[in-house]
Amino acid sequence: MSIPDYMQCAEDHQTVLVVVQPVGIVPEDEFFRIYKRIASVAQVSIRDSQRNLYIRYRHHYLPENNEWGDFQTHRKVVGLISVTTCGSAKEWPQTSDRFHSQKDVFGATLYDSRLLVFGLQGEIAEQQRTDVAFYSSYDVCPDVEKRVEDFVESIFIVLESKRLDRATDKSGDKIPLLCVPFEKKDFVGLDTDSRHYKKRCQGRMRKHVGDLCLQAGMLQDALVHYHMAVELLRSVNDFLWLGAALEGLCSASVIFHYPGGTAGKAAGRKPSLAQGQGQAADAGKRHRPGAQEVLIDPGALTANGISADTSSEIGRAKNCLRPEDIIEKYKEAISYYGKYKNAGVIELEACVKAVRVLAIQKRAMEASEFLQNAVYINLGQLSEEEKIQRYSILSELYDLIGFHRKSAFFKRVAAMQCVAPTIPEPGWRACYKLLLETLPGYSLCLDPKDFSKGTHRGWAAVQVRLLHELVYASRRMGNPGLSVRHLSFLLQTMLDLLSDQEKKEVTQSLENYTSKCPGGMEVITLPDGLKLPPVPLSKLPIVRSVKLLDLPVSLRPHKQKGLLENNMSTKSPFIYSPIIMHTRGEERNKKIEFRWVQGDVCEVQLMVYNPMPFELRVEHMGLLTSGVEFESLPAGLSLPAESGLYPVTLVGVPRTAGNINVNGYHTSVFGVTSDCLLEGLPSVRTSGCMVEVIPSLPRLQLSTSLPRSAHPLQHSKEELSSSVSVQLFNGETQQLTITLENIGSEDLETLEVTSKTCNTKEKLFGEFLSWDLEEAVSQLPLKPGQSVTLTVNIKVRLDFSGGENLLQDLNDDGISVTGLPSSSPLRQVLKPRAETKPLGSESSKTDYNHVKTLEAVMTFKYSGGAGKVEGYYRDLTLGVHVDVEPSVFFTRVSTLPATRTRQCHLLLDVFNSTEHELTVSANNNQDLVLHASECQRMAIQVAKFDFDTLPQPDQEAVRYTNPKLLEEERLHTQASMINSTLGITWNIPSVRRQGEASVEGVLNQLVLEHLQLAPLQWDVVVNGKPCDCDIIADCKVGDAVPLEVKLTNRSKNAVGPFALTVVPFQDYQNGVKNYDLQDAVTFIGSNTFNIDTVNPTEDSVCMGALLFLYTGDFYLNIKFQDDNAGQGNEVPPSWFGLPSIHIKALEAPIEAGA
Amino acid sequence: MAVCIAVIAKEVCSYWAGTKACTPSTCGPAPYTFYLQVFGHFFFSPLFNQNYPLYIRSVPIQNELKFHYTVHTSLDVVEEKISAVGKAMADQRELYLGLLYPTEDYKVYGYVTNSKVKFVIVVDSSNTSLRDNEIRSMFRKLHNSFTDVMCNPFYNPGDTIQSKAFDSMVTAMMVQAS
Repeated sequence: MSIPDYMQCAEDHQTVLVVVQPVGIVPEDEFFRIYKRIASVAQVSIRDSQRNLYIRYRHHYLPENNEWGDFQTHRKVVGLISVTTCGSAKEWPQTSDRFHSQKDVFGATLYDSRLLVFGLQGEIAEQQRTDVAFYSSYDVCPDVEKRVEDFVESIFIVLESKRLDRATDKSGDKIPLLCVPFEKKDFVGLDTDSRHYKKRCQGRMRKHVGDLCLQAGMLQDALVHYHMAVELLRSVNDFLWLGAALEGLCSASVIFHYPGGTAGKAAGRKPSLAQGQGQAADAGKRHRPGAQEVLIDPGALTANGISADTSSEIGRAKNCLRPEDIIEKYKEAISYYGKYKNAGVIELEACVKAVRVLAIQKRAMEASEFLQNAVYINLGQLSEEEKIQRYSILSELYDLIGFHRKSAFFKRVAAMQCVAPTIPEPGWRACYKLLLETLPGYSLCLDPKDFSKGTHRGWAAVQVRLLHELVYASRRMGNPGLSVRHLSFLLQTMLDLLSDQEKKEVTQSLENYTSKCPGGMEVITLPDGLKLPPVPLSKLPIVRSVKLLDLPVSLRPHKQKGLLENNMSTKSPFIYSPIIMHTRGEERNKKIEFRWVQGDVCEVQLMVYNPMPFELRVEHMGLLTSGVEFESLPAGLSLPAESGLYPVTLVGVPRTAGNINVNGYHTSVFGVTSDCLLEGLPSVRTSGCMVEVIPSLPRLQLSTSLPRSAHPLQHSKEELSSSVSVQLFNGETQQLTITLENIGSEDLETLEVTSKTCNTKEKLFGEFLSWDLEEAVSQLPLKPGQSVTLTVNIKVRLDFSGGENLLQDLNDDGISVTGLPSSSPLRQVLKPRAETKPLGSESSKTDYNHVKTLEAVMTFKYSGGAGKVEGYYRDLTLGVHVDVEPSVFFTRVSTLPATRTRQCHLLLDVFNSTEHELTVSANNNQDLVLHASECQRMAIQVAKFDFDTLPQPDQEAVRYTNPKLLEEERLHTQASMINSTLGITWNIPSVRRQGEASVEGVLNQLVLEHLQLAPLQWDVVVNGKPCDCDIIADCKVGDAVPLEVKLTNRSKNAVGPFALTVVPFQDYQNGVKNYDLQDAVTFIGSNTFNIDTVNPTEDSVCMGALLFLYTGDFYLNIKFQDDNAGQGNEVPPSWFGLPSIHIKALEAPIEAGA
Repeated sequence: MAVCIAVIAKEVCSYWAGTKACTPSTCGPAPYTFYLQVFGHFFFSPLFNQNYPLYIRSVPIQNELKFHYTVHTSLDVVEEKISAVGKAMADQRELYLGLLYPTEDYKVYGYVTNSKVKFVIVVDSSNTSLRDNEIRSMFRKLHNSFTDVMCNPFYNPGDTIQSKAFDSMVTAMMVQAS
C-alpha cells in the first residue's frame, strides 16, 4: 500500500467500498455518466431495519490496497459493478469471461458483483442471471439506480451475516489472526497457543468486528467493540492494531458527533454530494435519534443481533469519546502507526482525517501540528504526480483550517512541482491554474482597482515573484495574451517596488510579448471562469493633473446678454456661504464655466511624468469622453527618463453639441493599449471635466495693414486675439485697413464693431478710432472663405499744452503785440505770471520729448450659423497700440483783444519738439516755420464765439450727471468749437508727415472767457453806420453826428440800469491822450446815456448826437457807471466790451461852410 | 547562521466587518488612521493591505525570498494564536507567542504587541544557544526599539520602517544571535 487516499475522512470508516469499472471497450464519457448514476446511490436505507448503509464508489482501486482490507474493512472491496458494451449475442461469452476475470482481481474480498451490459440488441441464449443486467443503450437504462440499490442490499445481507458470524464466534474456536500484508512473514513460526498470541487474535478480531458493526450502521456496537479491542491490544503491545482500534474509535465518535460529515463541501469528493446537500441535514437528524433508538428499543437490539455480553460490558453512553478526546486518541493512534515504516500511508491518512475533524472543531493550531507531522511522513519514492497531489492536498487542508498563507505556499510548491525539470512534459496549464489559486493567500487580487488607493503595501517580494511566475507559466502555456495582462499588472501595481534593472527587464519582456499579442482593454476570461480585468497602465506615464483648456480668446463663444437664461441653479439656500459644500468627487463632475464649440479643436492639458529610468514612448494618447460625439486626435509623445512634470496637450473636435464629459485618456505604451479613467485615479487633480459644447459658430480671421505688435497692451487686462502697433506724431491721422476673413464653416451673419480706449493718464481729444461699418455690413452674410474689409482711422490728438516751464525767453510781456490801447481792461488779465521757474533747465525740456502711448481695443462681435440661434457670438479683439511722439506744443496761450470788439487775438507759443523742421499753419493765417526745438509765438485773429448757439445738453442727461462733469463737458464742447475754427495744422516736410494740432487742452477758463462774446452786446451806431474799433466813421465838421448805443441782453438776468458817459479824446500816438476837447466836440444833448433795466433777451437803445467843431481824429470812449454798485449782482467789467469809436471829422464841403 | 527579523503591520481591524471584534483601545495609538484605513479598504478588499511587512531583514541576504515565505506563512499561526486567546483575556495576553512552528532548518518565534503589530524572528534550528529566554529578551528589545520608532512624530504609522536606530539595533541583535 503505497498510494495514500488523501480524500479520506473519518466517516469513510462506515462505508463499504464498491468498485465500478468498465470492462472491454466503454466510451469514457458514457462510463462516467453511468458511474455518476451509480454513485448517486451513496446511502441506502435497509428495509426492516433502522440502519443505513453507506457506499463509497471507486472507479479505480489498487488491489494492493485491498489487501489491507482486514486491517480496516472500509478498505476492502466488497462490491464490483462492471460496465460493459456488448454489441451482439456473439460477443457475450467473451464479455462474460472478462467480467469473471475482473472479479478474480478482488475475488477474495467481494461479497457480490454486478455486470451492466449496454448496447445489446439481440437475445441472450443464456438463462437470466441476477448479477447481469442488459440495456439496449447508455441512454435507456432507467432502472440502474434501482438495480444498484438491490445490489447494495445484497451486500448488506452478506455484511450483516459476516458481522453476526464474527461477533458471535468466540466460543472457544480458534480465532484466526488477522494481519496486514507486511506482517505475514513476522508471524511465521510463532507459538499460536500462547496467551499472548490468543489475546492478540482476540483483540484484532474485536477491532474487525467493530469495523463491521460500523459499516453495518451499528454505531454503538462498534464503539463497544473498539473499546474492547483497545484494551486487549494495549495489553499485548500490538501497536499497529492498537492504532487501528483507536482510529476506529475516533471514527465512530466522529460519526456520532458530526453527522454532517467532516469532509466539508469544499472537498467535493463525494459524487453523491450533488444530491446529498438536501440529505445532509436530513441524514443528521436520522443519525443521532437512530443511535438512541438502538439504545432504547430492546426489540431492535435483539433483532439486530447485538450480543448481550458486549452491551452489558460497558455502558453505552460512555463509549463514545468526547470531542476533545477524539484528537487525543488520534494522536495516540498516529504515534503508534508511526512506529511502522510500512504503515506510512495509514498514518498519513489518519493525519488527514484528524485534520478534517479538527477543522470542524475549529482547532487550527492542533490541526496545523498534525499537518506539520504529515509533511514529514516519508512514503518512500513518490512520483511527481503524487508529489503534486500531496502538496495540493496539504494546501487544501491548510485552507480548511484557515491558514491561507500556508495553503498558498503549498499550492505554489505544487504548481512548481507541475513544471519540475524532471518532468518530461511539464504541465504549464496546471501550474498556471494552481498559481492562480494561490493569489488570495498572498493577498493579491488581479484587479488593478484595488491598488489605486495609495501606496502599495504587502509582501512585495513574494508577490512580485508570484506575478513573474504567472507570466512565465502563461507564456509557456502558449497564451501571450495572459502574459501581457499579468506583466501589465506587475508594472502597474508593483512599479514602485521594482528596481531600475527590473523595470527595464519587465518592460522589455512586455514589449516582446506584445509584439505577438498586443494588450488591450478587454476582460480576459479564463476557461475556469476567472475573469482577468483589464489593466490600464495609468502609471506609464503618471498623470498628475487634467485641465480642460478654454478656446483661444478669439474663438471663445459668449452668450448674448439678453438671452441669458436664469440658470443659476442654487443648491444651497444661501446666496453665499463660506463653507465649501462639495467634495472632491463632485468637483470632478463640476461643470466648467467656459464653453467649447462644436467643430472647433478643443484642448485638454495633462501634466505627466515618466517614472521609468529610460525614455518612455507613449503612442496614440487621446481623450476618452462621453456625452458628445467627439473626434479625438491622438498624439504620440516621448518622455525622457524620470522626467519632471511635462505638459501634454491632447486635442479633439466635438462633433455635436451638448455636455461633454472628459472621462479619461487613452494610451498605448509598450504595445499595451489602456483606457485610464479618471475616476479610478484619485491622485489626478482636475478642476472639473464637464464642459458644455455649443453649436458651431463662424470663425473670423483678422489681418491688418499695419504690422502686428509683439508686446501686448500694457493697460489692458483682457486677452487680445491680436494687436497692431504704430508710431504717430501727436495730431497725426493714420488709416488702418482691417481684413476679416471667414475661415470657419458657417456663414457670418452679424458683425458689430466697438472700440474702447484703454484707461491712460493722457487726455485724449477727439475720436481716437473711427470707422464706417456700413459697407462691411452690406456684404453680409459672409460665406466661408470670403472676406470683408474695414477701414479705421486712427487719430491721435493728445494734449498739446506744454505747461509753463518751457522757454522762458518767450515769457515776456505779451501785450506788446500790436496797436492795442494800453487802457484796455484786458491788460490786467494778460499780465505775465510770476517767473519763478529756473530758466531753461535741461531736464524740463526732456519732458517734451517723452513718447506717450495710446491704446485701444477694437472688438468685433460676430455670430452666425446654429450658434447664433442659440444666442452665442464670438469676439475678436484687436488691440491698437500707438506710440505718440510729440509734434508741437502750445506752451502758452493768451488772448489779446483785437481791434474789433467782436474779435480777438489768440496768442499761442508754439514749440516744435520734433527733430525736424516743422510748419505750423492755421486757417487764414500765415505758415509759421519752426526749427527743431524752436518756440515761436503765433497770433491768430479769431472772431469771438457765441457759445450759446452750441447745442444744449439733453435735459435728461443734465439731470442725472454730476454738475462738475457737466461743466467739463461744456468746456470741452466749447474748446472743440474753438479748435475747429482755428484749424491749426502742422507739417513736417522732411518726413512727409502732417497732422493737426489742437488747442483744446490749452485753453483755460480765462482764455475761454475772453474768447466768448459778452452776454451784454453793445452796438454803437455812428451816423447810421455800425461802428467798431477799427472802423473809422467819417463825419463832417459841423454836422450833427447821431450816436446810437444799443444794448442787447443775452444774459440770463436782467441788467441795469446803467449810466454810460461818452468821453471824447484825441490820441497823439505817442502815449499822450488829450481829453481836453471841450472846445472841439460838443454834445447835442447829454453826453450821458441812461439805460433802464433790460430784461433778458430784450434790448434797449439810447440815442444821442455829437457835433464836431474841428476836423481831426477823435475817439469816443464810452465809459460806464454802474448805478447798482454794491448791490451784489455785479456785472463783470468784461461784459462792457464797448468799442472805442474812432471818428474822423472831415472838412465840411465848401458849400456847406457858413 | 541565518537569522531573520521581521515586523509586520497590524491587520486592519475588522471592527466594521464584525467578525473579529476588537475594541478601539486595542487597535493601537492612532485611532484616526485606523478609521481611515477601515474606510479605505473594508468595502473593496478586506483581504488586502493587512499584515504587510513594515520591516524585514535577514542574513544571509542571498536567500531573502525564502525568509519572506517563511515569515509570511508563519502569520497564519500568529493569527491563530491571537484569536485562540479568549476575547476577555486579550488585555492580559502574554505578548510573547513562543515558537510558532519548527521547520527542518529554522525555528520561527512570534510576538504580538497590544496594538497587534507582529514581530517574527526566524533562527537556525541548529542554534542551541538561543533558548526561550534569549528569544524573549530579543523581542523585548525589538519592541522597545519599535516604540521609539513610533514615537518619532515624522513616522506615519503604517509606513515601512526606515529608522537608522532601529536598523542598527536589529543588526546588533543579528550579530549577537548568529
